[in-house]
Amino acid sequence: MVIGRAVPMLDAGARVRGTLPYAANLRLPGMLHARILRSPYPHARIIRIEAGEAAALPGVAAIVTRDDFGPGGLNPVYGSARDETVVAIERVRFVGEPVALVAAETEEIAEAALELIRVEYQELPAVFDVFEAIKEGAPVLHPDFPANLLGHAKLRHGDLEAGFAQADEIIEETYTSPLAQQTALEQQVAIGQWREGQLRMWTATQSPFTVRREVAHVLGLDPARVQIIVPPLGGGFGGKGNVRTQPQAAVLAWKAGGRPVKLMLSREEEFVTVTKHAVTIHIKSGVRRDGRLTARQVEVHWNVGAYASSSKHLMSAGMLRCIGPYRIPNVKVDSYGVYTNLPTAAAYRGAMSSQGAWAHESHMDSISHRLGMDPLALRLQNILHDGDQFATGETVHDVHFVRCLEAVAAPIGWGEPFEREPAPHRRRGRGLAVMMKHTLSSSRSECALELDNTGRLTLYTSSVEMGQGAHTALAQICADELGLPIAAVAVSGPDTAVSPYDTQTASSRTAFMMGNAVRNGASALKDKLIELAAPLLGGSPEGLAAGHGLVFIQTSPDSCLPYAELLKRSGKGTLKAEGSFQTEGGIDPETGQGVATPHWHQGAGACEVEVDLDTGKVTVLRYHAAAFAGKVINPELARLQNDGNVIYGLGPTFMEQMVVDSGQILNANLSDYRIPSFLDLPSELGSALLESEGSQIHGLGEMTLPPVAPAIANGIYDAVGLRLPDLPITSEKVFRALVEGHDGR
Amino acid sequence: MDGDGVILHVNGKDHRIASASRRLLLHVLRDDLGLKGARGACGIGVCGTCTVLVDGRAMSSCLMLAAQAEGREITTVEGLAEGEVLHPVQQAYLDHFAFQCAYCTPGFILSTIAMLDDDPFAEQDAIRGYLAGNLCRCGSYLNILRAAQAARDSRGQGAGAS
Repeated sequence: MVIGRAVPMLDAGARVRGTLPYAANLRLPGMLHARILRSPYPHARIIRIEAGEAAALPGVAAIVTRDDFGPGGLNPVYGSARDETVVAIERVRFVGEPVALVAAETEEIAEAALELIRVEYQELPAVFDVFEAIKEGAPVLHPDFPANLLGHAKLRHGDLEAGFAQADEIIEETYTSPLAQQTALEQQVAIGQWREGQLRMWTATQSPFTVRREVAHVLGLDPARVQIIVPPLGGGFGGKGNVRTQPQAAVLAWKAGGRPVKLMLSREEEFVTVTKHAVTIHIKSGVRRDGRLTARQVEVHWNVGAYASSSKHLMSAGMLRCIGPYRIPNVKVDSYGVYTNLPTAAAYRGAMSSQGAWAHESHMDSISHRLGMDPLALRLQNILHDGDQFATGETVHDVHFVRCLEAVAAPIGWGEPFEREPAPHRRRGRGLAVMMKHTLSSSRSECALELDNTGRLTLYTSSVEMGQGAHTALAQICADELGLPIAAVAVSGPDTAVSPYDTQTASSRTAFMMGNAVRNGASALKDKLIELAAPLLGGSPEGLAAGHGLVFIQTSPDSCLPYAELLKRSGKGTLKAEGSFQTEGGIDPETGQGVATPHWHQGAGACEVEVDLDTGKVTVLRYHAAAFAGKVINPELARLQNDGNVIYGLGPTFMEQMVVDSGQILNANLSDYRIPSFLDLPSELGSALLESEGSQIHGLGEMTLPPVAPAIANGIYDAVGLRLPDLPITSEKVFRALVEGHDGR
Repeated sequence: MDGDGVILHVNGKDHRIASASRRLLLHVLRDDLGLKGARGACGIGVCGTCTVLVDGRAMSSCLMLAAQAEGREITTVEGLAEGEVLHPVQQAYLDHFAFQCAYCTPGFILSTIAMLDDDPFAEQDAIRGYLAGNLCRCGSYLNILRAAQAARDSRGQGAGAS
């Protein structure tokens, strides 16, 4: 069995040899280097741009400003909400917004050219805080959105007032998460080449077909004339989930008239190109004295930054991710996406779930303490079981939250006595948290398979390999269905000219969605093999079966033909088949009722922490995570996802925060914006992958991440009785709270 | 060498770099010599992604001018394997699934080699401390630790001792 086996990544050799062909490595003959002139103001009108001197600089090949766009020419507007522009046209709306683009022989010349471009701005009042932005009289970013409201998603389930009326206690709190950055080590990069009315682009993206659509839109081309090739990514984490640098690189390539143009961002530029949504979550719950939740009301304000990108979808998804995996009969959620003069926000690994779980899981602990109940017991009392109804009106199936919680509570020794005061100024505590998320409700994955007459199979897929091991897992599924050794399967793509459509590599959907497409494709290939074999083996196709690399007669398996032999004897060089998988669903934007997901993602975490009373430093001594996998395809790669989530999650828990002053990012570098290193790891980190007979494959890219911050915060509460409502939990915050004797609220 | 040029000794071979003044070692390795295993990710020497060995020591090639490397022995990840045979540390990383996106992997491998030269019996805490200068955003640290320990142990048995 190739499923369930720890097969090394298909290109593991190249990964340790340093020869993996990232887009960042690509250099083409005659390639130009691009740089971007960016706005120094958070909000300003552009009065004048003078680029003549820069254009005259020797070595400058192309300059793009707003003057390149006009009636009949290129289209400056792109993005899911069609509100972003290749360069600023009339106004700039955040510090770092592209104003002019330069392609030159070297990066140094391109940098020098930027210095020669004169831009005259007229500063406008700016707004950065969501609550300021929605006030009457606030500066307006987009005329079509006079209240700066990108959207207001609503969930209405049951009778909220009746639910609160039934409650013995009402607990009301506010939690926040700050602006943060995805911080893939490989920066955003796109290399475009214009040739004979077509654009070819190599780029690091999680969404090749979205990029193709938007680049084609900007260039006024049929999407078939745009080819997007995606080499393996040096990390994505949501930051590469939408269109980023590609329209800029495309327009420069078009203007450079045939010479390839490479646009690769600096680390500093990453911070103004895409961020995590900062959020304020107000959560209020009604509960009976015995622990039963009767009602929950949540009000969420997502800071979407200056442009929508995918925020309209994400704020609606986020609405469902702020509730928690609980049986609550009466729920009301209002989720607002608010424009501000900050860089554009997007998915950040554990998108919206991390922010949501931070609130609902900290809140669950507050409820348990109010009631004097054990935090685990309170959760178990309210947790969703198969057949229960979630706040979307969906009856949930295949949910294993109890197992997830038990799998993390047991290794921590939950409920057992432990040393709470290991030294005079140190206190220990334990905490846990659980998460639930949906994946894309309606999406589509397609693939193509090509078997050759040497028995080698190539799988063409537009799923992006970004380190999660997707290509290896898909090859395993393919090999399993066809009964081929894993070594006989190669994976090709994404290349939009060759590999079929996929919605995107995001929301932990690939193993399930593309996995099913691959199974269907392999099954179609087997049907074709059987059809070919029937005249050769004798008998009807109905009496034949394919598997183990052979087509055979079911009643006498010794009468068989290996695939390669079958193709040769049929005079075929190759045999092709296609597979696809589609899910349908959606929720009503006015009520939040409908179909959110084909299945639910489930995870939990528990930990023991130690707080140093003299310094406020929090040390995670032990952390155990669990995710529901359904069926594990590759245990080692799956565990890397589980572990990686926890380690990634330590960032927003303890250190990650973009510091902003008047719209300027003050810590746009990896020295002042820290991400977890070896020294930040718990001494003990365990993770469990839960399976269930007959379950679907569940993605694992995010599930153990959202519980990290609340589990740790709950451990801190258990240790010192302080509830910290604002991430990240820095030593300074803990120390101040300890000194001041309250929790900062 | 005269004027603007330098001769760099990289992976056992001399390379004449015609125009090297004011250029970072990282850029010369990547752009002139095509050695893409060293990668720039932070530009300020804190992430370790551009790590190379200079006279056996792990250095950030994004903080070093090419001219400073003249006359010194530079090893990049491309110089480790001998044909089909991986360096024992590379093999340990492969065996222990010690990477995801692998953008950071060459830097980790080279830092591990430098560490084991420095401290052949490095215990877990020493390994964690030594490798804290390399960042892995995918969070493969536990497997990296296992790989480093395995490389240490196999080296102790003489398998990969240099």
